[in-house]
Amino acid sequence: MDRNVKVVPRRGGETKERLYLPAIYEGIKVTFRHFFKNISDITAVDTLAYPEEQPADITERWRGLHRLTHRPDGSIACVACFMCATACPAECIFIEATERTDGVDEKMPKRFAVDTLECVFCGYCVEACPCDAIRMDTGIFSLTGRRREDFVLEKEQLLSYRGAFGEEDSRAGK
Amino acid sequence: MSTAAVVVAVGSFALGALLALLMIPVLVWLERRGAGLVQDRMGPDRANISGFRLGGLVQSFADVIKLVYKEEYYPAHIKTGRRLMMLSPVITFTAALLAFMVIPFADTLVIGGEALRVQPLPVEYGVLWYLAVGAVGVVGIFFGGWLSHDKYSLLGSVRAGSMMLGYELPLGLAAVAMILTYNTIDFNEMVRWQSGTLFGFLPAWGVFVQPLAALLLVITLFAETNRAPFNVAEGESEIVAGPYTEFSAMKFAMYFMGEYVAMNTASAVIITMLFGGYQLPWVSTRSMLEHFDAFAWATMALLPLATYGAIRWMRKNNRVRPTVSTDGGRGFETKVLTAALIAMTAVVEGALLWVSLLPEGATAAATAVALLQIAVFVAKLMAFNLFFILVRWTLPRFRYDQVQHLGWYYLLPLALLNLFVTALVVAGGA
Repeated sequence: MDRNVKVVPRRGGETKERLYLPAIYEGIKVTFRHFFKNISDITAVDTLAYPEEQPADITERWRGLHRLTHRPDGSIACVACFMCATACPAECIFIEATERTDGVDEKMPKRFAVDTLECVFCGYCVEACPCDAIRMDTGIFSLTGRRREDFVLEKEQLLSYRGAFGEEDSRAGK
Repeated sequence: MSTAAVVVAVGSFALGALLALLMIPVLVWLERRGAGLVQDRMGPDRANISGFRLGGLVQSFADVIKLVYKEEYYPAHIKTGRRLMMLSPVITFTAALLAFMVIPFADTLVIGGEALRVQPLPVEYGVLWYLAVGAVGVVGIFFGGWLSHDKYSLLGSVRAGSMMLGYELPLGLAAVAMILTYNTIDFNEMVRWQSGTLFGFLPAWGVFVQPLAALLLVITLFAETNRAPFNVAEGESEIVAGPYTEFSAMKFAMYFMGEYVAMNTASAVIITMLFGGYQLPWVSTRSMLEHFDAFAWATMALLPLATYGAIRWMRKNNRVRPTVSTDGGRGFETKVLTAALIAMTAVVEGALLWVSLLPEGATAAATAVALLQIAVFVAKLMAFNLFFILVRWTLPRFRYDQVQHLGWYYLLPLALLNLFVTALVVAGGA
């Protein structure tokens, strides 16, 4: 036999294993231990009483709801290049471009919408953006609405979100 | 028939119905919370009536309301036998309920020279009744599965039927061994037999007298009640929900409740046949009556301690972590329940004090002993139900052929051997 082959011994043939009862005893010991440990101190059970308790372990790398960033002067950073919409595998980004007349840049989106019901939160739009204009660092994990239309986030709403991890400045080059 | 006889008959029937029916929501709650605690999570703890959640018990009643208001749906493909199909959950439920009715909750009360059985159905052939009526439950499952005209249901009901064949035999043979040992088919006589002492230190419980038969009984009763690790009939990972697939709303709820009643019945049978029934270990009813004062004083001493423990546990656990903004009325509930517990303890203490001051051999003492035995019975019943539940969350399900293999190749020969040895010992000793 090849010396790289490791033979794993077959288990289950011993009398103790065939009896099955010792294994049941071991298993019941485990369940009883958990049961009595938890029943003697229920508040110590490590679960989240959502929504009264909110998760505190959302990290900077976690992809939450999208937002559109601002330039240092407070205007929209997006130049409507369509890179994110092209990269999007779920095809959930809808952009209509328009000319920008305030002299800051040449182009900006007239409409920028993300259909969060279609979005798969892959983060490709963030990777694709050459202007760091779209990010997923809001830390928002729960979006609720009564109609389907409520889940299509428009430009104004996307601009209104703020980064949850104080990245507003660091990546803007300051 | 004297007044006492009527009171005892009605009282024990009401107690039997309560213990069987009111136990269903409690068991469902125990199952869900127990599963949660075993798996390091909370289980249902949200449903409440103005802050009162009784540890989540209210959830069961909310579930009942949901099931009652659910749409009655009849699968359109079922053309024939719809009446019988609707009746089949009722058969299962009724069989489980009736089988429970022969369990004695306390020793025969002697009031004014009249012997009164504390048993919902005062019969002397309890074991036969249980074996006969308990086995009818599978008929309901079989009809339901067959008349659903659905291959999953048919497979499930075939499984249920063959499980019954495979496990009823060792169950019956183990029961026969117990019958030979106790020399009676009366559950109450069985409990009386078990009230002595074995080898000077063990309570003379069936489980110590007949360990192998006890093991066989427990295993086969797990199979009989269709519970994990033997729930192959329902087998949700293979055959959807087995015989219950086409049932919805209250029709399904009947099956579901029947299952819990059957589990409760199995627990009651196990403790009656193997764990001394309503009896405290080492103690017989006569010694309890003779030394009633001692038992009354011991109860009076222990009860406040138990209440104190319960209150302490509640104050520690019926609250939320400091990180949670609101306690949802738990603080108020704890206060009210603390007061209720103290009041109940006071009432029981007062009653015991009053009875112990009465003259010797009074009817009140006999009644108090019977009530004490009922309390012991309920405590044991709950403990065994908890065992059933914890076993469900411990063991994975057997494969169907493994179940049959275990039943026919191991349990049946073991039961026969055990019966043979028992018969030899009994015949040799007699």
